[in-house]
Formats: sequence, C-alpha cells, structure tokens
Amino acid sequence: MNDYPQILFKNRVVGETAFIDRFRANGGYQGLEKGLREMTPQEITATVKASGLRGRGGAGFPTGVKWSFFPADQPVEKFLVINGDEMEPGTYKDRQLLLADPHQLIEGVILSAFALQVSHAYIFIRYAYEECSRNLEQAIAEAKEAGYLGRDILGTGWDLEIHLHRSAGRYILGEETAQLNGIEGVRPNPRSKPPFPAAKGLWGKPTNVNNIETIACIPHIITGGPGWFINLGITQGGVGTKLFGLSGHLNRTECFELPVGIPLREVVETFGGGVRNGKGFKACLPGGASTPFLTAQHLDTPMDFEPLEQLDSRFGTAGVTVFDETTCMVGATLNLIRFFARESCGWCTPCRDGLSFVQWILEEIEAGRGNRDQIAMLKDQKKNITGRSFCALAEGAMGPLDGLLRHFEQELEDHVKLGRCPFGD
Amino acid sequence: MPTLTIDNKSITVPDGTNVLEAAQRLGIVIPHFCYHEALGAVGACRLCAMMFEEGPVKGLQMACMVTAQDGMQISTLHPEAQELRSHVIEWMMLNHPHDCPVCDEGGECQLQDMTIAGGHGRRRYAGKKRTWINQDLGPFVVQEMNRCIQCYRCVRTYQDYCGGDDFGVMGSRNRLFFGRFQPGKLESPFSGNLVDVCPTGVFTDKTFRFKTRYWDIEEAPAVCPHCSLGCTVIPGARYRELQRVRAGVNRQTNGFFICDRSRFGYGYANHRERIRQPNCQGAATSWREALEHLKERLGKVVNEYGPLSVAIVGSPRSSLECQALLREWTREHGYRPPLFEIDNRRDRTARILAAGLGKQARSMAEIADSDCLVMLGSDPLNEAPLLALAIRQAVRNGCHVTCLDPRAVKLPCAASHLPVQPEQLLPAINGLVANRFEEFERQDQLFLEGAAERLGRAERPVLVGGGDLLGPEGTEALLKAARSLNAGLFVTLGGPNSYGGALLSEDGPDSEEMIEAALEGEIKALFCIEADPLTEGPARSARALGQLELLVVCDHMVNRTARSADIFLPTTAPPEAAGTYINNEGRMLPFGGAYAPGLPLRDIGEGGHPPRTFSNITTGGEPRPAWAILATLLQRPLDFDSIHHGLESDPHFAGLGLLSPGGEGRRVTDAGMLPPAAQPEFPHSAPEGSLPLLVVEALFGTEPLSSLSPALEPVIPEAAVQLHPTTAARLGISDGETVSLRTELEHLRLTARTEAEMVPGLLVAYRLRGTPLELLPVGKITPCLLEKGGNDA
Repeated sequence: MNDYPQILFKNRVVGETAFIDRFRANGGYQGLEKGLREMTPQEITATVKASGLRGRGGAGFPTGVKWSFFPADQPVEKFLVINGDEMEPGTYKDRQLLLADPHQLIEGVILSAFALQVSHAYIFIRYAYEECSRNLEQAIAEAKEAGYLGRDILGTGWDLEIHLHRSAGRYILGEETAQLNGIEGVRPNPRSKPPFPAAKGLWGKPTNVNNIETIACIPHIITGGPGWFINLGITQGGVGTKLFGLSGHLNRTECFELPVGIPLREVVETFGGGVRNGKGFKACLPGGASTPFLTAQHLDTPMDFEPLEQLDSRFGTAGVTVFDETTCMVGATLNLIRFFARESCGWCTPCRDGLSFVQWILEEIEAGRGNRDQIAMLKDQKKNITGRSFCALAEGAMGPLDGLLRHFEQELEDHVKLGRCPFGD
Repeated sequence: MPTLTIDNKSITVPDGTNVLEAAQRLGIVIPHFCYHEALGAVGACRLCAMMFEEGPVKGLQMACMVTAQDGMQISTLHPEAQELRSHVIEWMMLNHPHDCPVCDEGGECQLQDMTIAGGHGRRRYAGKKRTWINQDLGPFVVQEMNRCIQCYRCVRTYQDYCGGDDFGVMGSRNRLFFGRFQPGKLESPFSGNLVDVCPTGVFTDKTFRFKTRYWDIEEAPAVCPHCSLGCTVIPGARYRELQRVRAGVNRQTNGFFICDRSRFGYGYANHRERIRQPNCQGAATSWREALEHLKERLGKVVNEYGPLSVAIVGSPRSSLECQALLREWTREHGYRPPLFEIDNRRDRTARILAAGLGKQARSMAEIADSDCLVMLGSDPLNEAPLLALAIRQAVRNGCHVTCLDPRAVKLPCAASHLPVQPEQLLPAINGLVANRFEEFERQDQLFLEGAAERLGRAERPVLVGGGDLLGPEGTEALLKAARSLNAGLFVTLGGPNSYGGALLSEDGPDSEEMIEAALEGEIKALFCIEADPLTEGPARSARALGQLELLVVCDHMVNRTARSADIFLPTTAPPEAAGTYINNEGRMLPFGGAYAPGLPLRDIGEGGHPPRTFSNITTGGEPRPAWAILATLLQRPLDFDSIHHGLESDPHFAGLGLLSPGGEGRRVTDAGMLPPAAQPEFPHSAPEGSLPLLVVEALFGTEPLSSLSPALEPVIPEAAVQLHPTTAARLGISDGETVSLRTELEHLRLTARTEAEMVPGLLVAYRLRGTPLELLPVGKITPCLLEKGGNDA
C-alpha cells in the first residue's frame, strides 16, 4: 500500500525488533563508518545543514542551524541529549521507531555526538516506554560490543558513552530545559532562556537537545547525501520523510513513514482508510494535541511546515488525530485542555492557573451552564495566555482552543443557546 | 551603563540591571511577585509585563527577565501590558480565599496592593477553590496554604538563599504545596524569613498571631542586639509590648534577611520580671530620690577614699552614646577609666581588632563576594548566624570555604572542615602566612597547604575569625596574617557594640586590673551599666564585688549583678530608645527607638480590652535610656547632638552625626589603640588528668537577651557535653547517656552527645543561660572531670 520510500521504517516489521544483525545486514552503521572514517565533524554538521532537516519533535527548528550554534570545537565538557519524552496526545512515532529499529537511533546518536564532539550522550525516554528502553539497552550493549561505543571509536581517538535516562513521567519533561533539570535530578521546571542549552545546559555545560526521529535521520543523510534527502520531500521546501502517527476516528490508526508535503487528504483517506463508520470528516489535529484544528476545507493542504503555518496551524509531530462529524469540538477541546492543565508544571501563572481557568470555562459551556460572556472570556484568555507563559506548554495548550474559536465558534454559541451539548454526551 | 526610556522618563543604570529594577529606580511601581532583589528574577509570576516599543527588544516582555540596554523605549501603561497584568492577578486570585479580615498579613499584604494595582476588581471564576490541610511548622511560623499564589519566593529563600533542605515545593499544576514533606518544626535557623518574603499570608509570624494590624504597630529601623554583626531589623510594638521583629534592609550587612534568634528573641523587652522602677536596697523609689541617694552615697565614697575608688563597667550591649558619656563622666570626676566589657578575653580581642583592622575590614556583602574564605575558630550558625548566609552566597558564586575549628561546625553550604585542637589555631594561622605546617600531622599538612595555596591564588580572599576561640593572641595573629596575605578580615565579637567599647577603651586598663584593684580594696563603688560581672566576669568577681561599699546597676534585664545592687536604675531595652552600635567590621549603625517603654497592657489589662481611662503617666514607663541617666548625672542636655558632636572631635567617629537609622552606616576611620600588655593566655591547655572543656555560644539559649524570650524556649538545646566518639569510647560513655561534669567551681549533670565531626580529646558545651554553664568563660579551656552517670550530683 505504501509505495513511498521507506527510510526510517526500512527495517520495520510490526511485532519484531531489528537488532544488530538485521540492522547491519540492511546497511546499518554504514553512515557511521562513512561519517567517522571519511568526514570531519564540521563536514557532518555542514551536510546536516545542507539537507535542510528540521527538528521532528514539534518545533521544527532546522537541525543543522542548531548544531552550528553548538561550541563543538571548544575543549570543554559538553553533552548531547536525545529527547524521547514523547507524551503529546496523538503522538507515538518515536515509540514505533524504537520498537522496530533501535540501532538506527544509536547510529544517529554516535554520528551526532561525533559531529558535536561530545563524549556523553543522554537518551531521555518516556516513563511508559519500558519496552523501548529495553530495546535501547540491548542496542547500546550490542553497539558497545561491536566497537561503535566506548573508547577510541573506529580509531578516531574519540570516546562516547550513551546513558539511558528513564523519565519520572510528566509531559513537561519534553520541554528541553525541563528535561535537563530532570536528568540532573532536580524539579523539572523549565529554565529561562537565555542562556540557551547550547551555552549552558546540562550541569551548566553546553548541551544539544534533539528529538529521536531527528537523530534517526542523520545516518541516512550522511549515507544518501543532502540532495537525496531533500528530494524525498514532495513539496517545494519540504525535505525528507516523516513518521505520521494516525489516530482518532479513522479506519486505520497506524504509524506510516510518508514524504513531507503529502496532502492531508491522502494521509486521511489512503493511509487512514477514511473516516470510520462512513461518517464525514469534521476536523483534525495535524501534528499533535498542541496544533490548532484543521477542517474539511483544509484537506488538500500539503503536510509540511510552511503550508500549515499559513493556515495558522502547525506541522508539529505529524501526529494526525481525526474527528468525525458527530464529535463535539467543545468537548474535544476541553479534553485536550484538561491534559495540558494537568501537565502544567506550575511554574508560571498563565499556565498554572490560566489553563485551569480555561478548563473551567469550557466545562461550564460544555455542561450547558455557560453564557455568552464566557465565550468572550475564552477569547481573551487565549490572547493573554498565548506568548505570555514561561515556556511553550501553555502556548501549545492554546492551539486547540485557537482552532475551536476560529473554526467552531458556532458550536460554542449552540451550547450556550441550547443550555446543553448539542452532540449529546 | 545603558540609558533607556521608561514611560518617557530616561534613566542610566549600571550594566546588568534588569528593566524592572530600572523602572523602580525611576519610582515607577510595577506589580511583581516572584522578583526579589536578593533572590533575583525568575520570570514565574508574569506580572511585571511592559511593552517594549523601540530598541533591541520588542513586544510585550517580562521586565524582570530583560536586561536594560541602550535605546530601549518601554511603556508600562500600554493597554496590552495592563490587560495582561489584570489577567495574571485574576489567575492568582482564582483560588485565594479572600480571608483578609482574619489574615495577619492584611494591611501589609503585597497581594492586596498588587490586586488593586493590577486592576483586578471583579471575580469571574465561580467554580470550587482548591483547599489544603495546613502543616504545623513549629513554634515560629504559621502556614495557611489556601492563600498561596505560588510565587516561589519561600522556596527560593529557604532552599536557595538559606540552604535549608526540609522545606520545598511539592506537586504540580495548580496544586503546588509549599511546605515540609511531613508536618514538623522548620529546621533552618532562618525559617522566619518566610514571613517576610511571602507576599501574602501563607507564612505569618506565630508569635505575632492575631495581635496587631500593620497600621497600628509602632516601628522604627533598628540594629539587632543579639550578636556583633549589626543586622538591620525593624522591631514593632503595640500597647507597650514589643510584638515582633522583622528584617530591615542593609545591603552591606544582612541584606534582606535575619536569623530566627533576631526575629523571635524579642521577648526580653516584655519580660515579666523586668524591673521597671528605680530602687534602693530593693525598695522601689522615684527617679529623683534614687538619683539623690546615688549622689549622696557616691559623694561619701569619693570623700572618704578619693575618686579612684569609683570604677565603672560598661557593656557591649550599650549604645555608643551611653559608652561615650560613661567615659566623659569618669574623666570629669577623675574616676577610674571605664571598662566596656567585663569578660577580659573578649575585651582584649575587641580592642586588638579595633586597633588593627583598618583596610583589612570587610563587610558581609564583601564576604558574599569573596572567592576564597578561610574560617578560623568561627562557628557562624551559633555565633553570628547571618555570617553563615553571607558565606553561603559566596559558595553559590563559586567561593571555596576552608574551616579550621575544634567544633563540628555546620554550615548551610559546602566547606572543607578540618577539626583542630583550640591550641592549634595559632600555629595554623601563622602557617598560612609562611605556608609551613610542621606542627601538624601529615594528612592535616596537606589540607592546610591546599588552603594556603587557594588563599594565595584568590583575588578576594577573606579570613573569617571567631573572636571567642581566637582570643587576643589569635586575633592579633590573624590580623597580621590578613595584612601579610593582603586578605580581608572579618572577626566576630562578643556583643552588638563591642567594637564601640573597644575604641572608647583606648589603652585603658582591662578587667583583670580592675578586679585585682577591687580585691585589694582599692575600689569601693562600682557602677555597672548594662553589665553583669557576676555572670560574665571571672569567677573571683563575686569576691571582688563583695568588698564594695556601693554597687549601682543600670539595666533593663534582671541578672545576678542587678539582684545584688544597692541602687538599681532601670534602663530602656534596645528597641525602646535610639542609639548607635558599631558592628564587628567597624560600621557605625544608628538605630531608632520604636516605642516608649511601659508595662505591656497585656500584663495589666488581664486580657481585657485596653483601658479607656486616660492618664498622662505611663504605667511602668520609668525606664530611661542609659545615656540619658548619665547625661542627667553629668547635667548635660538630653539630646544626641551634643554627644555626637563630642564624639566627632575624635576622628574615628567622623560622620556619625550624619547617619540615620535604617541606612547602611559608615565604617569608623583610623584604628583604635591596643590594650595594655598582658600575660598571653593562648595556647590553651588543660592540666594532666583533666579533660579540656570548651564552652561556646549556641544559636539559641546562650545570648543574654534572647535567652529571656519565651518564644525561643522550645528551641533551646539540651544541656549537653559534646565529645568525639573515640573520646567517649575511651571514657566508656555512650551517646545520650547522663554524665557528671565537674569543674573547679561547678558540678553539673549533662547529656553526653557524640559528634564525629569534632576534634577528639576535647569536650564542648554551650554556655546555656539559667544553667551553671553560664558561669564558665567562653572560648577558654576549663579543666574538668567527666564521669559516667551523675547520680551523685
């Protein structure tokens, strides 16, 4: 069914994990050999920069640019942190990657660590991903055994140790600076930026934080070259492939590797198998719980950073959650806001108290106790929370509310007018 | 020095100033909670939003998180900024219980002020509020978590600034709990600062609970009288009762915080046994009669034995004004030169320090800025608690701390501690200069060489000494070391005005000389001004005082000497009158009187409503400032101007008259004079067969004023003798066992406590007031015998 090139899912057999033998048999660790034997760290960074790879964790910051800010050539202790705290509702791509092919990440970590000239890399993994953690532990042990980790790797004179850190399990740990606090063992409130982690990160040392999927792309970019990687995308400016995690009211809720720029309609209809039970498509979250809703009129949008930003939404993690026509969008938004309000770390006021206030307003409206003033309050809460919080959590939480207010204000009005939810329970 | 414009007003600020601070300098009030000058900016409350209109930063920003830069044009009144502020306040108030009428913070509540300033006037949230079960946090602080607005100031103060680890933030989202893991007494000796930093009524002063509203309290900036550091405090009184003490701000000394002894040790002023009327031979009388009686008795002594038969003992507890008049009084009448400290060791230590400190003087602010601290015989948490906080701030900035002390010195920060015998302090000091430590064991040599090496490398090194343990010889050696190493020096002294007394003593006689003279019958009349020779003086003081014909005591507290006075004249307690102290770094710090003395209404009203009869006489209002008593005797005007004028003719005290209470004070200039030569008493040692006992100060229970405070009773330590486990094992004593301790004069039963961090072979005990331990000299070695049990006592 999926005729698109499979890069990250090359070795994926659902229900199985590719460990070192199958990984190597399929060309694994060739990028590593090439990178470490034939390239300088600067060349690797330049190649990643040339590939146009953008971070796969949600924010989409160009990876090569981030690396070029990193003081790789300075003889100080520095760290690489791999963010595997995949906790956004609707996002489960990293899990699929680690279940299928953990060595791909390890190879990417080694190449990235070499490019950044760090000797200690931390893989920060979500609390619930115990099976992934065990896969990684085995992969790290195998890589060490094979001489890809440890001292003087491939005769370069460079050492690397990979540490696996299991999260204590809160969404805020996905925020990079909160994650650094989490690794340090202190309360995971986000840190103020500046100083950015590249200057003062883990234990005050320069630190680079990247998403799992981002790092997994690195060996392929090194092996295939930036031109090849760019051409994997099918929109102008869209590069590479992306893991799409489908969920919600679809016939098939699975994870697919698809080219960046694929139209949303194709994702929903071809890969998701269309909306289940023959219902109509009402809306979707295009890239995880923090991205504003898209509606049926947006189905022909290419799934890429720029086109989605033009619709005031975001590509995010490409975790596509679909809602059918019987869904109450007020209830759906309330459900998402509950998650974000619950996961606020409690550091800043807009997030800690603002989100629970929004939750209360939505609860009142959803329960039929709302009034028109409260719809106005929602707008003004959104305005005053967005961009006013300490980190991006509250801003992300405002994503679905923003979509609700832009596309489904009528549903809010209907709740108020009817004094109940028009969609029943 | 960037120049920026806020609300069309231009200001130039030092590099690194944030925009909130710049606005404050312009007098613009911006609501804020999480920012605190001592704690810094963290950007959590999101209240100090300003609109950055032009310049390097644009848009709505949190002013505390933006460093002031050239060309910034900022509006605090921009509609978006005001709108956000009103929202932030609304969010903070969602769960607030609105219980201002029953909240102790009401009237001095930053949340009340900021709610009004932030423009939030109408509650829109109609849901349920989050509520908490509060914890019992011990005798000092009340917790009412429902009022919390989650500004994190408490945890940043308690953990980050003060180094406490039994209080913190738990939970997440809008269910944050700021407290202890389990209910219980807050362990930090700085716990009371929670009361000051909490912007609302979550943490309030338990000793002040439900007593007074802010607008009814009488306050004045003052200087803490409980140690030599001179922290600025603000005592507050109502109905003639001293009801609380809160921290004042002095960026050179205490910064923004004080210790719990300073905050909760105020009960001495309200003490029920305080004698508030002049009396002669135990019979209450009027001031007029008492003073006439005094003149008559004194005249008789002078006529019969000459003026040199009159001696004066002043005190480090007295104000500089009182001390100055004492000296004038003796000069005018030809009496013996006054003493300002009856404890000879402390007297000589203070005089040696004052004579030589000069350019080596450092403030606590400079200690916090030091990159290398070497502590010698100093136990800050017990002797001068705020010093420990200054040291902690230095460590947070990367300073290395070395501590040489026989005691198990505990600090709220990392430090390398080497337990040494008291007599090893002197060779250690001299060794630091010469970088030679032959007298030490090999392992200790390495430790000391490391310290000397760091000291040599440091840019802003400071030697920190404890005057009690160093004594005059140690202090002199430390002074020389500081000069030769080009290091700063900070030595803690015995009392709040030890330094002032030392300057005024000049090269006059010491207490040994006076006691000898008294024993030989040369002294017939003794004036004790806020001094207690029977407790603080050498053991033979009792014999010396027994030979007097006239003992006059002026004091505000009841003590041994006061009880045996022929004539007793009540003086005001420190918060009841203005004055000046000179702290241990030589800083002149004036203080104001917060209220007039009088018997607290609570004590005469029997718990009822304040009386509604009016009288122009204050019950119990007789106490007078000690300086005023002396001015009366000297027939001088009752004002400070003439005293200050007289003092300023001495160049040390230049600028004294220009200082005002609550300010940063001013260092005395030049150096004082050395005391007369004396037999060296350092190194200490104990005779064969006995054990050396070192009596030292403790945080609670040993300082004379605060030990009278009922609020501190629950935290006064047990009467114990501390010893190293190996010493205990040698004596067959186990931890917690009752032991019998016998000195030449005393015999007491104590609990033995083993302490692995202290030096072996030594016994350490706190000089607890109200126990026989209070009679033992501080800092000196007392030979003693220690046995198991103690049933024979």
